[in-house]
Amino acid sequence: MNAPSLNTSPSRTAALSPAPAGSTTPPRPRRRLAYPGERALRNVVVGVVVLFIVVLLLVPIGIAAVGSLHLWNPLNGTFDFTGLANYRRLFSDQEFWTSSVNTLVFGSVAIVGRLVLGLALAYALYSKMTRCKTFFRAVFYMPTVTPLVAVAYVWQLMYNPRFGAINTFFGLDINWLLDSRYAMGAILVMTIWKDFGYAVILFLAGLYAVPDDVLEAAAVDGANAWTRFRRIIVPLLAPMTLFIAVTSTIGYLQAFVQVLVLTDGGPGTSTRLISFMIYDEAFVNYNFGYASAIAFVLLLFTAILTWLNFRVSAGSGVRPPRRRAGRSAVTR
Amino acid sequence: MRIHKAMVATGAAMVLALSACSGGGGSDMGDAVADDTADKGLEVVGEAVTWDPNQLVNEGEPIVLEWWLWGFDAESQAIADAYQEIHPNVDIQVVVQPWEDFWTKLPLELQGENGPAIFNVHNSQHDNLIANMAPYDIEIDDLRADYANVDAHVIDGEVHYIDFGLMTGSIFYNTDMWAAAGLTDADIPVTWDEFRDVAAQLTVAEGDSITQAGFNFNGQFNAFQSGLAYQLGQNMFEADLTTPDVDNEANLEVIQRFLDIYADGSGSKDFGVATDTFGQGQTAMIYSWGHFGGTLAADFPDLAWSTFQTPVPDASETPYAYDRTNGESTIGINKNASAEQQAVAQDFLRYYLTNTDLMKEMCLALGVLPTYGPLAEDPEIVASPVLQSFGDVESYIWPGPFPAAFETNTTTMWEDILYNGVAPEAALENAQATISTDVESSSFVSLESLYPGYQVQD
Repeated sequence: MNAPSLNTSPSRTAALSPAPAGSTTPPRPRRRLAYPGERALRNVVVGVVVLFIVVLLLVPIGIAAVGSLHLWNPLNGTFDFTGLANYRRLFSDQEFWTSSVNTLVFGSVAIVGRLVLGLALAYALYSKMTRCKTFFRAVFYMPTVTPLVAVAYVWQLMYNPRFGAINTFFGLDINWLLDSRYAMGAILVMTIWKDFGYAVILFLAGLYAVPDDVLEAAAVDGANAWTRFRRIIVPLLAPMTLFIAVTSTIGYLQAFVQVLVLTDGGPGTSTRLISFMIYDEAFVNYNFGYASAIAFVLLLFTAILTWLNFRVSAGSGVRPPRRRAGRSAVTR
Repeated sequence: MRIHKAMVATGAAMVLALSACSGGGGSDMGDAVADDTADKGLEVVGEAVTWDPNQLVNEGEPIVLEWWLWGFDAESQAIADAYQEIHPNVDIQVVVQPWEDFWTKLPLELQGENGPAIFNVHNSQHDNLIANMAPYDIEIDDLRADYANVDAHVIDGEVHYIDFGLMTGSIFYNTDMWAAAGLTDADIPVTWDEFRDVAAQLTVAEGDSITQAGFNFNGQFNAFQSGLAYQLGQNMFEADLTTPDVDNEANLEVIQRFLDIYADGSGSKDFGVATDTFGQGQTAMIYSWGHFGGTLAADFPDLAWSTFQTPVPDASETPYAYDRTNGESTIGINKNASAEQQAVAQDFLRYYLTNTDLMKEMCLALGVLPTYGPLAEDPEIVASPVLQSFGDVESYIWPGPFPAAFETNTTTMWEDILYNGVAPEAALENAQATISTDVESSSFVSLESLYPGYQVQD
């Protein structure tokens, strides 16, 4: 993403910069405790959070790491050391590669779809010409707060080739969920529809934080609406875009429910994602060791993609939004 | 002061949260009350396996047992209540868990001390349950005398569950559509060629679009594939009884036979799921297993339907086997339950196994042929349309509780053929490879060799 190249005056850009170059930040004064026992309360709260993270996250991850080196079925007590056999099987398993490609395609399209649609609608809502903004904000956000399972079942009915709303309304004769040319697309459409509201709300927050004087200055300098959008709005929304991209990457690499409900990974294996494969191995074949090995590769994959996201953004000078009182999200 | 309140509130919230996760373990005896009357004045029931109600259980002291199941809860609660009427000191509490959760929760619960004393069993989960099941405290010869197919469940001279009924597949047909097509009982097909003709007669189309499918097998792939290969003399496993035998001529012939019916225009891969469209009155015939009769009765009570026996390749020859069969299992007893609970559970088991009304009700609801001898000639059983479509019960093969990989990969294979344009030969080859890999870690040994007419494949 390019930094803004519009000619803006120093006084205007100052609003966007965290601090003048070379300036030294004075040491922050040590805040006094607001009430006796504040420190103890903090320790309790932080301790509980740390305990929960350790017990519910780190310990299971550790168990799964060990399990991935075993033929493991906790339901009947099987736990036989097999070394790297699960990982060797994994990399020679055609289904794993099919699922990996499917996951990459699914994740890429869903993220782009969510970002583009989210930004477009947020910008439309941001426009001074738009009326009933609160109503539209609520409507756009409604799918996001609706349970995914319920949404998936409704879309499954809509996709029904015999009496589904989509074929009926458009006069089509397509077996959306069982024709491999359409099945993944059908899942993606539902997913983007379900999730774009999240991006709309975040982008709106970013847009409202863009200083008016920057836009006004650009207009005075002769920038038309498209130029202002491309050269000012989009770059200033980069931290928010990064945040949405990173959280979406993590979320979509673990996408599972929509596949389970809509296609069960089919037809054949054409919509099988890695998360679905993990579920299938663990809870259908009861091969928890192999499922753990797949989960570890997915974890690694997610970490690499997230790191890449940050690297790409860092290369263009973007930092993710931080919470700090008194500063807007886009000016950090 | 405020901080102390906050800390106390935080602590209380944590305690509440943790207590919500705990399994209880209090001394709540439900509505069980002490019983001091051993002689109930009732007759001992049963044939070879008997149940004597005229004795105290748990010495008349109140006791609570949990009975876990995934369905059939009203009927099960009724039988538990009926038992409690005789033994008021025993409160059997029915706990329903959805099927999807049942098979992960139950094996884990059984490993601890607070698992249910009694639970329903499905033989597909044998491997995950057997280590924590107590053997039946009943002579095996007595069980053999009353129930069929007991020997398939004997492990080291003990049984942990048996079958109360046998289920198989048959053709369900819409009797209104049958009559509307001018067909009568005399037209019920015996061979697959006749079936293909009937399917064509039952199909209604407007132009290129089918409005009523003569036959629909979408989504039923794993129900019929391996069983119908038996008709052609093909076992599911090789002679060693552990190596899957999927990529063979018989399976290819079954696939081609079903594809031919769709090629005739008597059905379509895009017509929707077979069971749904049959219930909605859009499909005239489907292949399904007996439990579908219960689904139709519950979800589509107004549909007029009946069943007939699955066709065979040649009317003049009895096939190697008519189809695959599977047993519906009797209850299991938790070997980690307290000794008192296990003793009561064993008594309840006898009550359950000798209760002809309960057995009949379960068999009719699930569409299974009862294995309990006293029900063999029962008029309601004999009149049941689902059970009428059973051929000679000796001519069905139960391969044992084979790994789920067979069913999931058979579905994948069929979807590849129908929807992804994969040639049947290539799809079978893929299925063979995938199933072989998936069952490698399994200790499953096929029971096909127990079939009286078992023949080793060349």
